[in-house]
Amino acid sequence: MFKNMLKRSRLSIKRKLGRTILLTLIFFVMANLVLAAFIVKSAVSAQMDYAKSTLGGTVSLQADMETIRENQKSEMEKGGDPSKMFKEMSRPSVNVETANEIVSTYADYIKDYSYEITVSANSYNMETVETKGPSGNMMNGNMPGTPGMFGNMDSSSDDSTLDSDIIITGTNAYAYVDGVEDGTLTIKEGTYFDEDSIDSVMISYEFAELNSLKVGDTFKIKNIYTEKSIYLTVIGIYDTSSERANANTMYMNTETAAKFFNTEEYNNGNYSVGNVKFYMVNSDYADEFVEKANIEFSELFENNLKFAVDTSEYDSLAGSIESVGSFADTILIIVIIAAIVIITLIVSINVKDRRYEIGVLTSLGASKKNVIGQIATELLIVGTLGFALASVTGTIFATTLGKSIVESQTASSSQQSEQNFGRPGAMMGGSMPDGPGGNNSRGSRTDSFPFMPDGGNMKDIVNASREGKKIELDINAQPIDYILLFATGYLVIILALILPSVSIMHYQPKEILAGKE
Amino acid sequence: MKETKKNILSVENLSYSYQNGDRLQKVLNDVSAKFESGKIYAIVGESGSGKTTFLSLISALDKLQEGDVKFNKKSLRQITGQEFRLKYVNIVFQSYNLIKYMTAAENVEVAMAFDNRKEDPNKYLEKVGITAEEGKRLIGKLSGGQQQRVAIARALASNSPIIMADEPTGNLDEDTEEKIIEIFRDLAHKDNKIVIIVTHSRQVAKKADKVLTLRRGKLS
Repeated sequence: MFKNMLKRSRLSIKRKLGRTILLTLIFFVMANLVLAAFIVKSAVSAQMDYAKSTLGGTVSLQADMETIRENQKSEMEKGGDPSKMFKEMSRPSVNVETANEIVSTYADYIKDYSYEITVSANSYNMETVETKGPSGNMMNGNMPGTPGMFGNMDSSSDDSTLDSDIIITGTNAYAYVDGVEDGTLTIKEGTYFDEDSIDSVMISYEFAELNSLKVGDTFKIKNIYTEKSIYLTVIGIYDTSSERANANTMYMNTETAAKFFNTEEYNNGNYSVGNVKFYMVNSDYADEFVEKANIEFSELFENNLKFAVDTSEYDSLAGSIESVGSFADTILIIVIIAAIVIITLIVSINVKDRRYEIGVLTSLGASKKNVIGQIATELLIVGTLGFALASVTGTIFATTLGKSIVESQTASSSQQSEQNFGRPGAMMGGSMPDGPGGNNSRGSRTDSFPFMPDGGNMKDIVNASREGKKIELDINAQPIDYILLFATGYLVIILALILPSVSIMHYQPKEILAGKE
Repeated sequence: MKETKKNILSVENLSYSYQNGDRLQKVLNDVSAKFESGKIYAIVGESGSGKTTFLSLISALDKLQEGDVKFNKKSLRQITGQEFRLKYVNIVFQSYNLIKYMTAAENVEVAMAFDNRKEDPNKYLEKVGITAEEGKRLIGKLSGGQQQRVAIARALASNSPIIMADEPTGNLDEDTEEKIIEIFRDLAHKDNKIVIIVTHSRQVAKKADKVLTLRRGKLS
């Protein structure tokens, strides 16, 4: 019976060539669209994974301002001592040893981490660049993020009374410096510092010009607290296009920068910072990391510190990629529905045309299931042919489809990106609520010190997202795409067969053949 | 050695009614008959006398309403119509009912395949005067007489003990009709099949072993 069914199917396909070609063409077109949608979806998925691993998520250990404000409020209501309130504010700071411990405990989650020290210094006998705008006010030591603001307010010194005209920014993760990340800060001469570059400094081009300094020169500036002179060697000269930048800012590693602390702040090298950023291996890890770290390092709560998850970099790009994926999904759904409808109609017309043949076969003793099986076999054979042909052309079509989707999605996401990035604090370098400490404290993992930790890719993606550039999808068909194509195709055939099969089940051979008679 | 076993198709108290508007129109009224293998039966009657309905019922193309049809005491009510047709009956229609996209030989092969047999279809086609060359032609390329012979060859190939035919010579010229009748006679007399032919043709009726007349729903 089965062989007979196959033979009839084969003959029908071979002899009804017009119908076979039409059906093959329909399956071919449908399969091209379906395969293209699957390929685009795979590419989107791969891009998402890439974005997850490169952009990851950022978890910031920072002051819990909400709790601090509540404590202040409660103290005020109690009519508490203002100095105690002041102390409450000054408490949140992270000991670098604690940060290192967190990193070593969760090495599987953390790809990198950073903290930054910003401290004031005195130019001594050096010329300083005249600054204007809001940055100029920073020179009196009240700049946001000065250690004096956080963790050091109860120290013996008061920055505001000290003569400071240089901003010292110490970081071990040069790659995470704001200007470096967004490309506004570039090295004009020399190179950047690393963890071993003790007493090396990067100065601005303007500062270097003003003081006739070049790479390799040594100069001295003063610690404003101890009045001690600190000798620094120029390792690099930077240029910045940021209007917010202060040309009197010097960049160095944290160990060198810490020399500008007062004794109490320095704390024998175990100084505190206001904010530590942990860069996750994968953005999916952020919440789990926070959950675990909250338990393991619960004492941080008592010090009014909290972990804050920031996946905005990933989320921003993911939004654009996801919309490409959604578009591919929409195409897929439309194509599948259209294919089911079209094939159902074609098969229904075909079944009507073959009513007589069905009558003959059933009069000969063929079961209706056998007849449905024959029609299904024909469709499966023709479908397989269409799908196989589409497997050859699908990738080409997918590339075109992928490009056009990406272009349309990039156009809309570009506008959105502009709006998002136009806002201060959006995305990199400021999206997190830094609190009064700002980005004043950053650092880098000491066991591995990737100054450009696959930052190239990350920056490309961020910049692509930020500038509304094209999202590059790697349009390449994977084996799973072909499997999905054939599975979907066969499913469409089965679904398209339901109505015609119901109709066949209601056929009475006597009525068909009597009609013919 | 020819098959000598006596097969009997018995029709017992068969009644059948059509819904004609608001009322039921009785086409067959308590019809009983017995058909034996090795004989050719002609069922005659006026148009609308219920000949085709009778044939449809005893060939299981239509569902029984009242009464029963038995083949060697096996009731049609015990098995499905499809199974009954597959095992016991093959029908030859006036309009041949061949599958158009197949050749004559393929049409015969299909019938054999339902019985899970694989034989040379030309063996059956030759019996009805169709050459191997003609057997390779698509149905549309054959004349009416040739098509009817292919339909009979298919019935032969199906190996069914009962061959029923509804006006098998209705579309054929006299010469061809003669040849077709001979084939049916051979099917009954040589192949020991029960052959039941519904016909208007006197020629066919004349050649039958037994003629049954349907009149006002009764068979006599």
